[in-house]
Amino acid sequence: MTPDDALDVELGVSDFVALLNQTMEYAYPSVIITGELANLRVSKNRWVYFDLKDDSSSVKFFATIYQLPGPLENGMILRVRGAPKLHNLYGFSVTVASMQPAGEGTIKRAAELLEAKLLQEGLFDPTRKRTLPYPPRHIGLIASRQSAAYADFVKILDARWQGTDISLIDVQVQGEPAPNQIIAALEQFNKLSSPPDVLVMIRGGGSPEDMAAFSTEQVTRAVAASRIPTLVAIGHEVDVCLAELAADVRGSTPSNAAELLVPDRQYVLTELYAAGLRLHELMLQRVKTGRVHQTQQAELLTASMLTQLAHASQSLRTRHQLLSALSPQAILQRGYALVRRDTHVVRRGADLVAGDGVTLEFADTEVRALINERKP
Amino acid sequence: MTKTIDYAALQSELDTIITAMQREDADIDASLRDYARGLVIIKQLEDYLQTAENTVTELKASLIKD
Repeated sequence: MTPDDALDVELGVSDFVALLNQTMEYAYPSVIITGELANLRVSKNRWVYFDLKDDSSSVKFFATIYQLPGPLENGMILRVRGAPKLHNLYGFSVTVASMQPAGEGTIKRAAELLEAKLLQEGLFDPTRKRTLPYPPRHIGLIASRQSAAYADFVKILDARWQGTDISLIDVQVQGEPAPNQIIAALEQFNKLSSPPDVLVMIRGGGSPEDMAAFSTEQVTRAVAASRIPTLVAIGHEVDVCLAELAADVRGSTPSNAAELLVPDRQYVLTELYAAGLRLHELMLQRVKTGRVHQTQQAELLTASMLTQLAHASQSLRTRHQLLSALSPQAILQRGYALVRRDTHVVRRGADLVAGDGVTLEFADTEVRALINERKP
Repeated sequence: MTKTIDYAALQSELDTIITAMQREDADIDASLRDYARGLVIIKQLEDYLQTAENTVTELKASLIKD
């Protein structure tokens, strides 16, 4: 044993691997490494192997396919968090905990690849879009409580329409924890026994990296899978995230989201007033038409009544004439005379005998007469 | 209308009177009474019809005026 040997630690291979892993776990339990993706390889559709490199170095990484932020290709810049580890057979690698595209170009390219993939799957199909209830009574809001986007959204919503319940799930809207928190919030709202009428996801403007959580495959799929209709508004007008494309409705900004959700009360009141005026005009027109109709009906009714009265009068005149013609007085007027004995009318000559005194009733007067003879 | 009468009943009574007077064996004295009654009925019916016509004309005038 040399003096130098006294300082060295002599170990078996496995012990060395264990010692090194223990040391690294103590010193660097988690590291974040950013570099260019190279040698990307997927094994058995489950295990992912790749390198990150810069101008002078290259490091191996190991991940599962579920940790991929979306389709990747060599040359992209990735920001990977993981634990360095020396494998007992395959050497050194970093076991990935999470990974995101980094740098504007890479984020854009990753989003393009993911968009193409999800587009092909039909996640952005216009036929999947549902109509939002208008106005909703209960809004499920996924946003950061401290953000200006949240303050703007609530302010504009209250200014336009009141009485809408807002349930907020406060989430981080950027950074590594953001996607999982957003997905958890979506799931939490969807599991409620009395879910909100609409889910709204908002975030203010920022760099592509800031907004990257809303273009991850997991968040985009969660938005598309929501049973509750969704409205997503991330960043400014020009920023388009994949979650917005998967949503039922896209708001160009958080303020625009509030405008899309509820009508402007003042506008509605103006519309109602106009409708009231129109109703009034229609009613006046209806009354006018009714009055003309009523006048026509009155004319008809009167004409009918007068006609009926005329018929009745004619009928009455006929009866009057008949009655007059039938009256005994009218018969006497024609030259006949009524023969009475005592007070009784004598209907037959056989009822009289010579010597009977009778009264002859003429139209103008009565005369007394004595029967001289009755001819056989 | 100043007086309400049963127009149909009076007309029916008038028809009954005429029918009775048309019978060949009609009693002269009864016919005389019937005749007098018939004239009274006719007067009542004439008045009624005239009043009705006046009412109709007045109602129509007030309706159009409103």
